[in-house]
Amino acid sequence: MVSAQTVLGFATALFGIGLYGLLQRRSLVAMLISLELMLAAVSINIIALTSHTGTDPVMGQVVVLILIGVAAAEAAVALSLFVAIHRSAHDIDVERLSEQQG
Amino acid sequence: MTAENLVFGASAAVALGGALLAVGLRNIFHNILGFALAMLGVAGVFLSLGADFLAAVFVLVYVGAVAIAMVYAVMLSHPMDEAPAKRSGAKILSAVLIAGGAAGSLWMLLGTAPWAAGHRPAMVTAAQIGARFLGDYVLAFELISVLLLVAMMGAVMVARRSGSGRGTW
Repeated sequence: MVSAQTVLGFATALFGIGLYGLLQRRSLVAMLISLELMLAAVSINIIALTSHTGTDPVMGQVVVLILIGVAAAEAAVALSLFVAIHRSAHDIDVERLSEQQG
Repeated sequence: MTAENLVFGASAAVALGGALLAVGLRNIFHNILGFALAMLGVAGVFLSLGADFLAAVFVLVYVGAVAIAMVYAVMLSHPMDEAPAKRSGAKILSAVLIAGGAAGSLWMLLGTAPWAAGHRPAMVTAAQIGARFLGDYVLAFELISVLLLVAMMGAVMVARRSGSGRGTW
């Protein structure tokens, strides 16, 4: 079987890739993608810890399902905000957006 | 090497490769495709951990819904014919340093912790999860449904075109 440490190491790598993308990309959609990668790493951590070493694996899956629901709601609101920002500023590049005043 | 190890290794490789494509490529459509690939890999990892219902939900929600919504947002907001902007080397370097430092320190922390010897993951059925959702966690279940409703209405209101066609949809 896969040891908990291996799974947690994999989740750490996924989290690092997501953090790199969040810091480096300039498109708002690409930053949202990176954020979702980091959230997936968190879900893997919860499942690995509750299914390997915990006493209640069902609880971990319930928590991850709630996490997926919150992440889906966040993605829906964020994407519609990007469309609204593009409609008013005609751009979704964060560096050019931060130069605008007001 | 057991079947579980094989599934985990293949899924982890797919997920990491997809994640690298999702952050590394210039074209935003390729990023979204890489994101969908990474989520398929993560679903495979859930399968190898004995969470089959969660793997199905992950594929449905992320590959089926979130990635499609991202494609719609890109089509509505990105100029298709514009060449991707050049990336600055200093920003890439600082992002690599910060992300590498964070992941590296987490990695070191993993090595020092005394992990209990894992046992074989128990299979959790969808029926158990459903019973738990309508039992102990019924408040969280209802709150999530209200949150999703509010998020859906808010997304429609925010993205709605205001001005001349206001109120007529």
